[in-house]
Amino acid sequence: MNAQWSKNPWNVYKFPGRMEVEKYVYTPGLHGLEFAKALKEGRIVGTKCGDTVYVPPTTFCPDMSRGEVAEVLGPWYIESYTIVYESLDGKPLEKPVVIAVIAPEDAEGALVHYVDADPDEVYIGMPVEPVFKPPEERSGNILDILHFKPTAQS
Amino acid sequence: MVSRPNIHVKSKVAVVGAGITLFRRRMLETPRELAWEAARQALDSAGLTLRDIDCVVIGSAPDAFDGVHMKGEYLADGSGGLFKPTVRVYVGGGTGVFVPIAAWWHVASGLCRTVLAVAEEKMSHARPHPQGVFAYIWDPVLERPLGPNLLWIFALEMRRYMHKCNVSKETIALVSVKNKRNALDHPAAQAAANITVEDVLNSEVLVWPVNRLDVSPVSDGAAALVLASENEARRVTDSPVWIEGVGWTLDNTHWYNRELGYPRYVQYAARMAYKMAGIERPWRDIDFAEPYDPFDYKELHHIEGLMLARPCEAPKLLEEGWFDRSGELPTSPSGGLLGVGNPIAAAGLMKAAELFWQLRYEAGARQVKKPVHRGVAQAWGDLMQAGTVVVMGN
Repeated sequence: MNAQWSKNPWNVYKFPGRMEVEKYVYTPGLHGLEFAKALKEGRIVGTKCGDTVYVPPTTFCPDMSRGEVAEVLGPWYIESYTIVYESLDGKPLEKPVVIAVIAPEDAEGALVHYVDADPDEVYIGMPVEPVFKPPEERSGNILDILHFKPTAQS
Repeated sequence: MVSRPNIHVKSKVAVVGAGITLFRRRMLETPRELAWEAARQALDSAGLTLRDIDCVVIGSAPDAFDGVHMKGEYLADGSGGLFKPTVRVYVGGGTGVFVPIAAWWHVASGLCRTVLAVAEEKMSHARPHPQGVFAYIWDPVLERPLGPNLLWIFALEMRRYMHKCNVSKETIALVSVKNKRNALDHPAAQAAANITVEDVLNSEVLVWPVNRLDVSPVSDGAAALVLASENEARRVTDSPVWIEGVGWTLDNTHWYNRELGYPRYVQYAARMAYKMAGIERPWRDIDFAEPYDPFDYKELHHIEGLMLARPCEAPKLLEEGWFDRSGELPTSPSGGLLGVGNPIAAAGLMKAAELFWQLRYEAGARQVKKPVHRGVAQAWGDLMQAGTVVVMGN
């Protein structure tokens, strides 16, 4: 950091500061790593504690014991949703984005993700399913799920 | 029981369990998982389950280290704190010893019968270096424009101490040699080694007079204790370790307004803890100590602040082997931050946990030679101004 100072437009001295930590590199954790690996394979896993599976996985159970990695198959339902019309810096979005809390029937917990659906048609309780990127584009990241889409009703 | 003439408590407070993760540079676990590992071990060692815990105290230093805002809340599930009265405490580097202090008042007040006390730090997330996080502790107008880093102030303080007490770097290096050697017996240790004074002096000069081996490493890790009221403690164990005194003080955050050669913030905190514990002559009544040692000179500095030696007397006693594990007053028998590692808050709680293990004669190869009845652990925080002290006895 240089000992530089400047005058702002209101003619008051200011002392500029700067973030010295440029970025963070986070580890996903033990079951978090399994979660990431599964995403790469187009699967979603949780943590099994007793008879209950929790998603996303946490390695440890609510009673502090160690859980087992377990598959979460769904089906998934929208538990709550919102519709975003403006970007973070206040610009109108070209197309509104649907964000939802999406819970699987066979596990406790939920994921937060995008829903590719017409905002007017989304409702609480709507069955949805994950849409993964093509295998070669996946990187073991939550964005390996492109979005959830309404499940075709048979 | 030691009388506490200056304080009324509803219950005596005991430590009944302790746990610790490995201290390492880059742990795979998330901060929550580190907290959980230590907490689970502490519960197991106490023979208790999460159901037996009334309240939870979490300690963690700046949010910016882990890179997660409101770290206390973030760590709550791994620390067993969900749906319980849970609080996070934070006094910078002093946090580790502030955790048992806060847990103590939860129990001493009669509010909680049992407390799970967890401290965690994950230093390896920040890039390019966690040192950058410390930039925010300086005055943004007077100091930050100079581009300070933490080593600067330690170097200035070390130089002042060397001048005031006429101490050589060779003597100070003995602390690093001792602590890294002690750490060879600590299963969690990251920087244990058999080194010599020459190794310290020949290691890279970072900010003169501070060399690489004068400094503790960057670490990830967690530690935990279980505290209980007297009734509860006697129910779960035959060998409770009593918290006899706690103390904490804050000095001026503006570090240029202080005598750098003597840690008054430690002395005041120690006086508070000793008074509560009924200790009038700490240099005689304390059997062993875990003074905070992020840098080697800092241990000497803190030994003097804890009144375990007269001002400027610690270096001489060190040379005589007084502070060795087999000495008259062993200091950092754990291996300290220099040897075990320095995940900030967890490192301080590791020191408190060492009191527990030593006072239960459960320290294994680390057990000090002399019989032990009473020990003191201490940590220090931020710009040298926060002192936290806990005295335990068996």
